Amino acid sequence: MPERVRTAMDKALGRTPAGRGLTVFPNDIFLVSYFRSGSTWSRFLFGNLIHKQAVTFTNMKRLVPIIYELPDRKLRGLPRILKSHECFDPRYPRVIYIVRDPRDVAVSFYYYNLKVRVIPDGYPMDEFVERWVAANVVGYADRVGCWEDHVLSWVRLREGKPGFRLVRYEDLLADPVKELTALASLLHIEATQERIERAVQLSSAGHMQSLEKSQSQDWIATKGTRKDIPFVREAKAGGWKKKLPAASVRLIEQAWGRTMKELGYELVTEAKTERELVRS
Amino acid sequence: MARSKGNLNRVVGALSQAGRVLTGRQLAGRGVTVYPDDVFLVSYPRSGNTWTRFLLGNLISQKDPVTFSNLESRIPEIYFNPDRELRALPRPRMLKSHECFQPQYPHVIYIVRDPRDVAVSFYHHNVKARNIPDHYPMTSFVPRFIAGEFDRKFGSWRDNVLSWLSVRGDSPNFMMLRYEEMKRNTAGSLLRVVEFLERCSFRKIDSSPDALRRAVELSSPERMRALEKQEAANWVLTKSTRSDKPFVRTAKAGGWKSQLAPESVDMIESAWGELMQGLGYELSSRKATPLEAVSQQEIPS
Repeated sequence: MPERVRTAMDKALGRTPAGRGLTVFPNDIFLVSYFRSGSTWSRFLFGNLIHKQAVTFTNMKRLVPIIYELPDRKLRGLPRILKSHECFDPRYPRVIYIVRDPRDVAVSFYYYNLKVRVIPDGYPMDEFVERWVAANVVGYADRVGCWEDHVLSWVRLREGKPGFRLVRYEDLLADPVKELTALASLLHIEATQERIERAVQLSSAGHMQSLEKSQSQDWIATKGTRKDIPFVREAKAGGWKKKLPAASVRLIEQAWGRTMKELGYELVTEAKTERELVRS
Repeated sequence: MARSKGNLNRVVGALSQAGRVLTGRQLAGRGVTVYPDDVFLVSYPRSGNTWTRFLLGNLISQKDPVTFSNLESRIPEIYFNPDRELRALPRPRMLKSHECFQPQYPHVIYIVRDPRDVAVSFYHHNVKARNIPDHYPMTSFVPRFIAGEFDRKFGSWRDNVLSWLSVRGDSPNFMMLRYEEMKRNTAGSLLRVVEFLERCSFRKIDSSPDALRRAVELSSPERMRALEKQEAANWVLTKSTRSDKPFVRTAKAGGWKSQLAPESVDMIESAWGELMQGLGYELSSRKATPLEAVSQQEIPS
């Protein structure tokens, strides 16, 4: 069937994934982040918090849907805590925005792109980072802007406003029970301590890693991707210190240092001497 | 009843979208194909974007004056034109958009206008578009305008303006134009735009005093009004709207002083006062925030 006919049929039958064309309702809650910043983990956390059924990679699409998988028509009838990777969208009424140290995002996104075969084995990480900083990796990701565009677009527009909460991945990792408790009360989700602890346990990296082993071929994000590289990777903070080439660290900090500092990510690149600042 | 009508609309919408795909006439909108040499002319609605399109179109191709009939093939807007037609335009292209911050737009000219004037103009625009009835109270319109209710996808005036200024404000690929400054010194503003365009990707543009004067004359409110009378029925932006209300209205700055009730002015200024002051729009409210208490947070550097 020609591509155009198929697309036309999908439109007529309401089968195209919602994406940016999503219909937004006043009580919707969005889990928003740049890629590889803990958003799948947050889908597990919230799903396990509000549903009796434990979240897995296969039921997640209905329990905590992502806006890129199902059509708008189907999403209307599902629980409306939705995951999105969009840059600022003025229509989203309530947003939990997860931000992660871009140096860790860089490493994680590098392995993810190996996994989905956007880059081949042995592709130099520093070359990848150069492309990544310029938002020149792969269409769907470049479309939402570079890491800093993404973060700033949400933080500058919504920080301090009701209905917006900025969460650092690193804080979520350090004390998930505390962070999830705070977020639940913000969203008016009644949750006992026990319930929170259950959600955290059912969303642990170890649990998610074992689920991934058995379900990766049934989940849209991992189906058909390389099995030798996991989707749920280290789930740690600070891994970049060992993995990221010094030149890449410097590049990221030069590009986004101001925003990183503002978010509490300490820079390691030494400040330039005044002599270096003078361009000859 | 309302529900079945909603469903019917949805079905009709889906079918017409499918028809557009089949015939290759999908409207570009947010899905517009972006080229690295594109320049986007962005603003909140009713902020002088169409006037700017006339000015630049008349300056760039001086032999062929802009009309409403050729505007969409010169500096087209993205919402009513198919992506396929936009892709076929000679490059570098200049495109009009009302989007909030879009990371993929490579070069952006952002036009900002006093939100009190935008409110008045947008009110009349919504009457023309039949979104609100004749004699709808302006005082009821203003809170809905502040909440960004009329074109939700563009956000509120504040969301739209701040999204661009706070993320791109200090980028060399971004320039801001104030509508009021354009009114006060049209030729000078045009000159700034020409410098920007030539720095982006445009070939040399003739910006001699004569050329500037001619572009300004060909884009005067009087000429635009006369053209609108002849062409409104065929222009995509006006053809299905009320013909008894003009698209080109007073084209002035400060009209709000006589058109907006004090309570509406207060409402706008208390919602967006900091950002307005940061943009140089003087507040009139009696209870204006003392300057030293104004947080710098909302003001783009």
